[in-house]
Amino acid sequence: MNDSDASGPLQPVAAGGELSPQELLELIRTQHEGAARDLYVAPARILASWGVAWLLGFGAFYFASSRARGHFLPLWAAAVILVSLSAVAVAGVVIQMARRGRGVQGPSRTVSAMYGWSWSLAFAGVFALNIGLSQHGLPASLAPLLWPGSSAVVAGVLYLAGGALFADRVQYGLGIWMLAVGAGSVQAGWPANFAILALAGGGGFLAAAAFILARGRRAQPQS
Amino acid sequence: MSSRTPAGAESPGPPALPALDPVIHAQPRLRVVVTLATLANGDRITFPRLQELAGMTAGNLATHLKKLEDAGYVRVTKAYRRRTPVTWLSLTTAGRLALEEYTAALQALLANASQVPDRHDQHEARPG
Repeated sequence: MNDSDASGPLQPVAAGGELSPQELLELIRTQHEGAARDLYVAPARILASWGVAWLLGFGAFYFASSRARGHFLPLWAAAVILVSLSAVAVAGVVIQMARRGRGVQGPSRTVSAMYGWSWSLAFAGVFALNIGLSQHGLPASLAPLLWPGSSAVVAGVLYLAGGALFADRVQYGLGIWMLAVGAGSVQAGWPANFAILALAGGGGFLAAAAFILARGRRAQPQS
Repeated sequence: MSSRTPAGAESPGPPALPALDPVIHAQPRLRVVVTLATLANGDRITFPRLQELAGMTAGNLATHLKKLEDAGYVRVTKAYRRRTPVTWLSLTTAGRLALEEYTAALQALLANASQVPDRHDQHEARPG
């Protein structure tokens, strides 16, 4: 049993007392933080990837709008940019959740799976609603306001729910912000709505990610 | 203030100092217990994943898990998933409590260690 050269220092059972209380507390802290980093999703990375998707995706839609000041992009290119960046963000979430949840079972996994599915279900619901409106005579000119605006509001509601579920004030604050962005974008009208979604929406995601990263850095160097 | 005595300097312990739980006071077991305590309450983890997170060999981990199980700190559940045996591990309430008490005892020791040199300083301040 004592032949192992594992990364951990193998010591006789009575040892461990070789470390001072301070070193033992440090060991507890680093082991806990390392395990938490491997077990739980990193919200900053997820929020940053959505921030980039909104900033560039809706930014592209602004420059693809015929009435925008710097109109130079074909509409299909904007759609490709938004859809592919969103796909990257979704894939990032799914991969991270699968990797970090590997070999773990229990109530917290059920909660995060239900919350994850809430996003798919909520967006399926609101997209179906938007399609229904178009089928019943909603003017096509309103589609560029309705689709991204309603998406922002749904995202806002889900961040409110996530904030409440995980007792996370940053997520809750982001939820309030996204509600305002969604509603404000529709108020602003086309094509200014795309600028608001890109700058305030994408910027909101990026600001939340930066805040979480900065808070983590501040918490680490202590004692 | 206490610049010359590192916290590790052991003094003949006064009886008031808290005792450290010998089950957890071995580094590999401490690491296993801390890792399991990082899981959300009620969650459990497979043996290989725990091995990865704790950075231990399988044999080493099995040995220490046995001791933790005997102490009632870790629950070991053997199950089958698609005909493959899976060993699930989780911290018991007693295990969670033991880690909390161990951490509190360390903090008490640390607080005590930082007070003792102060007293020495006061005594030796004049001759020095």
